[in-house]
Amino acid sequence: MNFSRKELVQTEATMNQVRNAVFHLARLMEKNGIENSKERLRKMGQNIAKTYINYWKPTDVITLANLKDVITTIYQKVLHSAVSIEINEIEKVIKVRDYSCALCKYHYEDVEIAGCEILLGLVSELITLISKESQGSTPLLLNPYEVIESRAYGNKSCVQAFKYKMKKEE
Amino acid sequence: MGAFQWLMKKITKVFGRSTNALFYTLLYREILKEVNEITNNEEESLIILREIGKRAAFESCERHSSIFKFMPGNPKKILDYFEILWVVVFGTELDEYTYEEIPKEGSKYNDYVLKISKCPICADYGQDLEDTFKFDRLKNKETEGLACGLCGMLESVANYILKIKRNEYRIQIIEQACITKGGDCLQFTCKIHDYKEWKELLDSNLQQKNIISTYFKETVEEEEILPETKLDIIDKLQEVISIDKLEEYLDEPLESLKDRVSDIIKDKLNMEPEHFFDYFRNYEDDMIRIIGYLGTHLLNEYGGLLEKFLKNEWLAKIFGYIFKQLKEMTLLFIPLDVIRDYNELLVSFLDGIAPIEMVDNVKQFTGKDTITYIFEGAQMALENLGIDFSELRENVWEELKAERENGLISSETSTIDRTREKVPQIINIIQQFLMIFNDILTLPIRVLISESHYGLKTAINSVISEEEGLYGSIRERFDNIFDQIQEIRK
Repeated sequence: MNFSRKELVQTEATMNQVRNAVFHLARLMEKNGIENSKERLRKMGQNIAKTYINYWKPTDVITLANLKDVITTIYQKVLHSAVSIEINEIEKVIKVRDYSCALCKYHYEDVEIAGCEILLGLVSELITLISKESQGSTPLLLNPYEVIESRAYGNKSCVQAFKYKMKKEE
Repeated sequence: MGAFQWLMKKITKVFGRSTNALFYTLLYREILKEVNEITNNEEESLIILREIGKRAAFESCERHSSIFKFMPGNPKKILDYFEILWVVVFGTELDEYTYEEIPKEGSKYNDYVLKISKCPICADYGQDLEDTFKFDRLKNKETEGLACGLCGMLESVANYILKIKRNEYRIQIIEQACITKGGDCLQFTCKIHDYKEWKELLDSNLQQKNIISTYFKETVEEEEILPETKLDIIDKLQEVISIDKLEEYLDEPLESLKDRVSDIIKDKLNMEPEHFFDYFRNYEDDMIRIIGYLGTHLLNEYGGLLEKFLKNEWLAKIFGYIFKQLKEMTLLFIPLDVIRDYNELLVSFLDGIAPIEMVDNVKQFTGKDTITYIFEGAQMALENLGIDFSELRENVWEELKAERENGLISSETSTIDRTREKVPQIINIIQQFLMIFNDILTLPIRVLISESHYGLKTAINSVISEEEGLYGSIRERFDNIFDQIQEIRK
């Protein structure tokens, strides 16, 4: 009997090689004329989230009040990262700072994209999916905004920014 | 499980960057899908994924080359240690597997078949809507399966080890059965080729070469094996003292160990042992300091872990205080008889391989002298590695008090909370190290008593079983330390 995906949620794996593989994929995209590689990486994260939610989710209801905790839990449980989070309620921007990003560690001169674009897609999709499924009166939608800083660009930490909106604002 | 395998697995797991295994598997799947978006050809996508795996693993190996210097340089042994390769690449234990040797006539090495019953890469593939890479579109039955990228990584790590050990053989690892493709297990075939055969094999696979060069717009040729150049003494020692020989050393009594050291000095330094030790005659105290100094640096040779650990200012301070404490407390805690035993062990070791005059001089040292010299040497090495002893206060409590007065401890609640969460683990680590230190104190007298009959392994395992003896006890404590470090790293 092989492993099930549910069992994999309970175990951990070392990312070092797959983290490098993401940058080799980015090089491959560039060499083959893929111009929207940033969107492609985000799409990868969104696909991961769509499968992941079938096996684990941090909570059933997401509101602005528990958003910080939900994001912290996702980073901790899925990526084993301890992050600090800032929410700007005026601009509706969430900034997540990660000093040990699972997908970025080294600065590559020949790659102009950060591995954590994938995380922008993953986290925003997970939260949006849970929010849509929940019975809350004003579901919260999270969208990838930008990678402001990244260890892949030579910064000391990765800062991923998301934009949020409440569904009734649509 | 042997001591070497256990140690390598622990080091690799603790110092790798881990995530949840489901995230790993899904990211791997997405990489394959993206490659397929580029090629629009399933067969070619699997070849490209294998190449990406090879390149990714090679990059990792290059960054941590020092740790691979201690791995076995023999292809047969590398395959014997397949579990370690798996842990290096994947980071989780290899669950259930069988290993079969297939005789190969006219060849120095046989082929090997590994059957792994549980494949984390294939886990439930096809159950979710996003599993869109279609294996049923594969026309060529010889094409590898979903784990081809993992297979490329394993092959790359194995061959990197052989390359840096200047071995003239290379290992080919092929995924022969894949659960997603309908196989009943993940099956790898491992073939060992001499370098000429290996190059011919790579050159002959034109179709694969063309696909790689088409998409990567380049090919990566493996460097030729370099002729042996002048190596430094550490390189020379590493050729002989690999950690895969750990178990052999444990099996050998002191006399055999002396023979081995004599052989190393003769073979690698082209000197008679007596001549070598003669350099230290009348400088015996310096020689003992060098033992402390080199011992500490040798510890660091295992992947530069100690140096990396000490790069963190706080960890360096903690380590510095523990070291200072040990230095000051050793003579208070350890009975003089035990210290004398250590001295006697050193004299017994030197007797016969060092000049008589030197052995007599060492006999003059008291146990206290020996311990002091070793600590002085170790302190010099730790200063090289990043501990600034001049900055340390009288004791750790003074340090904590000063930090509070200076207000340097962050007032940010989350940071304090996180630090507070780690305190039990840090205390546990310190406690485990102290217990190991206590365990080791009892060792020399056992070595001296059992030396002529049973060897070091008997002494270490004491009179009970391997699990309950000193070896078992130390291993359990290190298990605990590695677990605590992993907890802190989360």
